[in-house]
Amino acid sequence: MLLDLHTHSIKSDDGRAKVENYCKWIRKKELPLDGFVLTEHRQFDGESDYRHLEDEYDLLILKASEVETDFGHVLVFGVNEDLSASLDFSNIRLPIERVLAESDRCGAFAAPCHPGRKRVGLFSHYEERGAVDGVHTVETLNGGSIPGEDELSVEMAEQHGYLGFGGSDSHVVSRIGFCATEFPDQTITSVDGLVQALKGGAFQAVTLRGGQAGS
Amino acid sequence: MSHALSFEDIELGDELSESHPDVSMAAVTKFCHAAKHLFERFIDHEAARAEGFAGAIVPGIMSQGLLAAMVHRWAPGCIIKNIDTVFRGSLLVDSEIVMTGAVTDTDEAQRRIELDLTIIAEDGRTGVIGTATVEFPE
Repeated sequence: MLLDLHTHSIKSDDGRAKVENYCKWIRKKELPLDGFVLTEHRQFDGESDYRHLEDEYDLLILKASEVETDFGHVLVFGVNEDLSASLDFSNIRLPIERVLAESDRCGAFAAPCHPGRKRVGLFSHYEERGAVDGVHTVETLNGGSIPGEDELSVEMAEQHGYLGFGGSDSHVVSRIGFCATEFPDQTITSVDGLVQALKGGAFQAVTLRGGQAGS
Repeated sequence: MSHALSFEDIELGDELSESHPDVSMAAVTKFCHAAKHLFERFIDHEAARAEGFAGAIVPGIMSQGLLAAMVHRWAPGCIIKNIDTVFRGSLLVDSEIVMTGAVTDTDEAQRRIELDLTIIAEDGRTGVIGTATVEFPE
């Protein structure tokens, strides 16, 4: 199963993509995605219901969050009421250890995104402040990275023994599917299933830029 | 003989040809004078550096104008009903930037399309993203 784990819609302040237009684009461009996860900035969108789009376009559409911490941005999959009550998602300086620990306690899965990016990436803080306990997985391939950033992410992830996943970090429709995560021989149908699959660790980051698949 | 692009020629997924606009100091300065948008950060590298930028930056209104011009070059005679841009990072004056566009939706009843618009900075970072709604009169 191939999922883009990092996308933004018009629900994010800097997102300009309508969710239905993502679906239309995926089908028109025959992207090999089975679905995507909406990771809106500093919030969890508990209201939007995309089941009609899932049915119409035969795509899995899940919801997660991108929160901001003192060690850069972190994606949180499996956000539930407990976690929403525990963390102030709008806080742009959440302590990363707390995000990781609370996500774990509430049954969610938290992982830093674009870790090779300056300022908002995990590894840009490692040199000065050291490694963070509790990190196990990072987004090694990000569709918004500039040359050198993903290479640094892959290198540092290997160095620290972290697993890697991929996401496009799309903010407009035509950028979905630049990067994704492959879950071989697994069928994911819900956010709980995604969390279990991520915890299982059997996945890999792939890039689909230019129509070329590669890990 | 080529003909102006009409609504019937357009499909979801169509991509506009990449465009490489001139954002040299001469071009940006000329724009700033014409738009009465004269600030040192746009027309003086040293002054911009003193403000914390890597060099003089392309004004946001110029970026939006360049995107609109790209749309009109692609489809002369179309009407841009709205254009919405998000400035995610600075575009430097005297650098090479690339503009792209793609059709992300079509509305036959209103003869309108939606476009994604992006400007990529020289270092590969996406400096500007946006969308436009474009109408094609019959």
